[in-house]
Amino acid sequence: MIKLRVTDVKQYIYCPRIIYFTYVCPVEKKITRKMEYGKEEHLELDRLEKRRTFKRYSLSEGERRFHQYLRSERLGLEGKLDMHIVSEGEYFPVEFKHTRKGPSLNHKYQLVSYAMLLEDYYNKPVRYGFLYIIPEKTPYPIQITPNARIFVKDVLEKIREIILKERIPRPNQHKGRCTDCEYRNYCGDVS
Amino acid sequence: MYFLTDEERKQLLKSYLPKSRQMDIADELRGWNWNQPPLEPVYDIKLALYEIANSYCPTNRDLFLRRIDGVKARPNAAMLRGKLLHQVLVDVLVRAKKLIYLHGVGNYQEFLQEHKIPFKTNFERYRSQLSEEEFSSLARDAEILANFETSRIVARIQEILIKQPYIAEDSLVSLAIPVVVEQKLDGSFLGLSQNLSADAFTFSEPMIIDLKFGEPKKFHRLTTTGYALVMEAIHEFPVNLGCLVYAEFKNGRLSVKKDIHIIDDELRQWFIEERDEKMRMIYEEIDPGIAQNCYDTCPYYRNCLG
Repeated sequence: MIKLRVTDVKQYIYCPRIIYFTYVCPVEKKITRKMEYGKEEHLELDRLEKRRTFKRYSLSEGERRFHQYLRSERLGLEGKLDMHIVSEGEYFPVEFKHTRKGPSLNHKYQLVSYAMLLEDYYNKPVRYGFLYIIPEKTPYPIQITPNARIFVKDVLEKIREIILKERIPRPNQHKGRCTDCEYRNYCGDVS
Repeated sequence: MYFLTDEERKQLLKSYLPKSRQMDIADELRGWNWNQPPLEPVYDIKLALYEIANSYCPTNRDLFLRRIDGVKARPNAAMLRGKLLHQVLVDVLVRAKKLIYLHGVGNYQEFLQEHKIPFKTNFERYRSQLSEEEFSSLARDAEILANFETSRIVARIQEILIKQPYIAEDSLVSLAIPVVVEQKLDGSFLGLSQNLSADAFTFSEPMIIDLKFGEPKKFHRLTTTGYALVMEAIHEFPVNLGCLVYAEFKNGRLSVKKDIHIIDDELRQWFIEERDEKMRMIYEEIDPGIAQNCYDTCPYYRNCLG
């Protein structure tokens, strides 16, 4: 089984062509200022989170664990989770996102993937996770539903299919996404 | 068939309804955003909703044959049976509504008398398309179905009448039979036919209901999802729930199971993906090839395998 990373799930949902440019036809990508800025904000947030209570997660108490590396042989998936909370025997993955648009679908399934990895790590089911939107300082609860788990497994299968068949996926319908894309120069049929 | 049991109602009120209201559906997947990706249709083709939702053929070659090669296959016995039993249910429900309006609440005894007259649907013109055994089984099951639904409606009406002494016809109809059957919908915003017809729709809490007489399949939920998206596109209110009603006849008895489900992000994405793939197949005239595991009652069996 081809080993994949959780970010691949996020990227596939954003645009399947990113998978092609990452695994099948690797090209040099440009690190954008937005990505650098995101990293800096993450570090600051780590520092602040350590001192905060769990009120904004609607939890009375708990323990924060940062940057846990997670891996599942069963899923053929690995990744490093921003943070997770252990509270009263339950586990809640938290992903920090720097976006002005609120949680998006690619973030949601990234979180679901981490939840699935966390389940394998602790051998316990995960019911909820949080997408922490940095500019809003708000954690959005995301329910980890059976359908969302199936969806992630389907996405993993589709990613592996792109890699195995070495076939370039169709261009993305969301033309707005191409504007900021680091692979824009390599997408010949996207104007 | 469309009325919930006490347990189903409890499930709906305590579980599905609060969950569906809490759950954040991505706005881009709401039907009212049909004018932008991913809902905006890529191709200028109109498909029937069943053409997107049905995946009985593993490669969808049935759709290719129908739309590109123009093959008109005769429906198989199961399809015909489903169609006719659907019609029986529609006839019973519509007849009940008509009789309430006709006789009024004051003459409800007359309504009850007339409503109890066994309902007979004339299937004679379909006799030649079914074997003798299939035909008699269909007639028997249609009678069971009609009797069941008729007595259920009578019970519901009587229950309302003992509680509401001042009720008038219109209110009685909406309380006793709170479903619209064969709701016509224009799906053109989403690249679907403008003559869609949902089996049933409840309006107290928007819920799409679809009746099935065959084995449950995962893709059946695509039907309710498609109608939910269309309703959202037309009326701009959220439709979060679907319900598949599976009816089965065993030893002269009707058994009904319901699959109530939340029309979540995943189902919506699945529907859109199916739509886009099937539209592309037709637009580009891509023959998807013959499936490896065809079912022998497929109406296109001969076209594919000779």
